[in-house]
Parts: sequence; C-alpha cells; structure tokens
Amino acid sequence: MVFTSSIPARTSVARRAGRSGTPRWVLIGTEVLVPIVLLGLWWVSSANSTNTFFPPLQVILERLLQLVQTPTFLVDVGSSLGNLLLSFVLASVIGVLLGAALGLVPALAWFVEPTIHFFRAIPPVALVPIFVSLIGFGNETRILSITLAALFPVLISTMDGIRGTEPTLAMVSRVYRIGWFDRLVSVTLPAASPRILSGMQVSLITAFVVMIASEMLGSSTGLGAATLLAQQSFAIADMWVGILVLGVIGYATTAVFTLFRRRVLRWYLASQQQEKNA
Amino acid sequence: MRVPLLRTGVGAAGAVAALGAWQLAATAGPLADSPLPTAADSIGTLARLFATPELWRALGDTVVMAIAGLLLATVVGVVLGVGIGTSPLAMHATRVPLEFLKPIPPIVILPIVVLVLGPTMAMGVFLVFFGCFVAIAVQSAAGVFDTDPVARATGRSYGMGRGEILTRIVLPSALPYIGTAIRVAAPTSLIVAVVAGLLGGGPGLGQSLLLAQISGDQAQLFAYVLALGILGLLVQGLSQWGERRLLHWHPQYRKEIR
Repeated sequence: MVFTSSIPARTSVARRAGRSGTPRWVLIGTEVLVPIVLLGLWWVSSANSTNTFFPPLQVILERLLQLVQTPTFLVDVGSSLGNLLLSFVLASVIGVLLGAALGLVPALAWFVEPTIHFFRAIPPVALVPIFVSLIGFGNETRILSITLAALFPVLISTMDGIRGTEPTLAMVSRVYRIGWFDRLVSVTLPAASPRILSGMQVSLITAFVVMIASEMLGSSTGLGAATLLAQQSFAIADMWVGILVLGVIGYATTAVFTLFRRRVLRWYLASQQQEKNA
Repeated sequence: MRVPLLRTGVGAAGAVAALGAWQLAATAGPLADSPLPTAADSIGTLARLFATPELWRALGDTVVMAIAGLLLATVVGVVLGVGIGTSPLAMHATRVPLEFLKPIPPIVILPIVVLVLGPTMAMGVFLVFFGCFVAIAVQSAAGVFDTDPVARATGRSYGMGRGEILTRIVLPSALPYIGTAIRVAAPTSLIVAVVAGLLGGGPGLGQSLLLAQISGDQAQLFAYVLALGILGLLVQGLSQWGERRLLHWHPQYRKEIR
C-alpha cells in the first residue's frame, strides 16, 4: 500500500518541477514573436505576388477596409452573426430542457435514444438540402437547420451529464426533502453543468459550420454566400476578405464561449486543480 | 440480461414509432401538402439505390477521401505533436497559430481550396486533412507531455538513447491520446468529405445529395440522407471498436474491461 501510493506522488513532484533548459523569457518571446513573424512572412512573400489565387496581403486588407464601409457587407456579417447566435441560444435551451427530461425519465430515453443517435450520425450539413427543399431559401430555413444541427450535441451531453451525477447527491437531497424542481435546478443541473458546457462547445462549432453551409447553398445573404459569390465571380480579394472575416468570427465566438465556460465552471475547475495538486 | 433486452426492444419500438410518425405526417398530417416524401417511399428508394453502381461509386469516393485525409492528418499530426510535446520551445512557438487554427472549420477555406485544386478528390482530401490535423497534433502533444517523468528517467538510467526512449516509452504512453484523437476525428473526416462534395463540387455522396436536391427528387434526397446516417453510425462504431481493439493493452483501457 505504501509503495504503490508513493509512486504517483513522486511522479507528480517530478512533473511539477518541470523541465528547465530554455529560459522562460525565450519561451514567452517566441510565443509572442512567431505569429508576428508568420504574418510578416505572409505580407512580404505575397507583396509582389502575381499569382491570381494568392494576391498580396496588402491588397486584401485594403479591400477589407473598403468593404467594411459598404452597407451590404455589414448586412451580410450581421445576418450571419445574428443567425448563428439566435440558433445557438435556441439549440442550447431546447437541448438542455429535452436532455434533462430524457436524463430524468429513463423509459423515455430508452424509447428515443436509438432514433437520436441515428440523427446525430447524419452529417449536420446534409440536413441543409432537406430544409431547403422543404421550406425554400428563406431565412427560417437557415435558422431551422442550424438549430437542429446544433441541438444534438447539447441534448446528448445533458442527458449523459444528468445520468452520470453522483448518486449520493440525489440521496442527500432526498434526505433533506428538497422538492424535485429545486433538486433539478440547484443540484442536478449544476452537477451536470461541466458535461453540458462541453456539449455546448461542440454545438457552437457545429452551428458555425452549418451557418456557412446554409448560406453557401443557394442563399443570397450572409457572409458565406458573399464569399462563395466572390469566388465564383473571380473577385479573389473579396473572397479572401470573406475567408479572413469568417476565420476571425470562428475564432472569436469560440474564445468568448471559453471565457463564459471558465466563469460558469469556476468552482469545478478549481476543484479539479485542487485534486491534481493533492 | 433482461434489462438490456427490454431496453433494446423499447428502443426499436421508438425507432418504429418515429418512422410511423414520419409516414403519418407525410400522408395525412399537417405536412401532407408539402414536398415531404413518405418514409416508405424514401426507404424504398434507398433499397433501389443500393442496387445501383452510382451509390456504391459515390460511397467509395467519399470513404476514400475521408480515409486518405485522415491518414495524412494522422501522420502529420503525430509528427508535429511529438515535436511539440518534446520541445518546450516548439510548444510555445506553435501555440498561437494552432490555437487560432483549432476552432476554424475547413468549410471556411473551402472557396480558395476549390479554386486552387478544382472540384477533385485531392480537394476533398486536403479539406479533410485540414479539418483533422490540428486536433490530432494537439492531442499527441498532450500525450507526449503527459508521459510519466519517472518512466523517462528510468529509461535514461538503463542507458537508453533519446530515440529509444521516444519509441519505447514516450510513444506507447501517448498512444491512448492519439487513439482518442483519431476516434473523434473519424466522424469529422466523413462530414468534411460530404461537405467537399456538397459545397465544393467534389465527387462522392455530397455531390449526389446536391444533384438530388437540384433535380427536386425528394425521395432520393431523403434516401441519400438516410444512407449518410447509416454510414455515420458505421464509422462511429468501427472507430470505437478499432480503438478498443488496438489499445487493449494500455492501462487506461485495461481498467474498463475489468
């Protein structure tokens, strides 16, 4: 007993000591410098580019500045972002509610689980043509397909999270005679929240992909449509602007969600850290 | 034994009920006037499609694109990840670029890739590669980083060289991370291969889906989506089975079996 427990302790001590060698300021310096150098390389190497597909970065950025001042571009960005946020919020709310119901009533979960898993196995983008053919090219088609595609990750992780909660928690709350609603809101859901938020993170990325796909498939508004249109009409600089802005939106939404997750799960992350250091 | 059996039965009943609801909605329900095909029609079309060479060719193209891209992503990702995991300098140098690329799906760069490579298999393979390699690299780096320092030091005490430590201690201990990364990436690779066909005009099931939508053949459209669902389930099941099968010797998996 003593021997086996002393090994991980030694391991964790060795791990915490870390590896010395390269001084810390060099490491931080490279972390800051590398992105700047990469961007600089792009700028310099593309400066005199005659390749039609890879115009100079300067041209792309100038085009971005021009486009930002046109109302159509702003409407495109706004409609894309609006669809993304609205559908993500809708999918999260419906997903948590349905997932909680399925997690609490096992018989119901057994009944629908195979069907849900089949739906989840369909590539989410493949749902877009179905909605386009059923409802047409309107904005509600886009919102519906994004919401449905983003629904499954939240729903399944909520279900799993609720099922995986510590049984003692349920027992303690029963001993204290906490009503089922209070138990759900203040015990079960918080206990499942780490899983729920991981599911929401997957949902966000799915929603982003389906947002672009739904705009590229025969829609005329939205950043995805604008980018594809620019590609088809060989407006290469416009296409690059679209790609860059979409990339930044993808990165920024994930970054904001990560901050939100860290704030909501502060108690959980702290307890995990404590466990690691113990 | 009786509870799992009951559970399967209830699940099957649920699937049948879902199909029944679909059939009812398409024939008598509120959607009877919409172009929604009935469940029987769609499944019948799917059965007929299974007898045609077109479906199998499209299926083959999609699977080949997904697998080729995934293999490429695995090789590049693991090499990159081992590099990042063994050298703190490389880790700090690549952190910002990788963190930036991680949440960006391949659909974002699809327009430029289609422009450069054209609507070909190579385009699909590249998109799959782009969609999978960052996650595999990050996971392999985490696996290498998580190697037990005591095991490493033991190897050094026994006079192992750097290469031997890498192949006999570090890589085996990082394999579960890599295995998990590949299992998670497998469905993604399938999705991206479909996207390449649907939006990029590449070959495969995505293209079949687009053609069915454009020609307005609802039953065929739904049949292709059903086929994609079946394929997705197969890919998920196979990658889970493969991971467990190939890594059964690792302590992390031995625990589960017991």
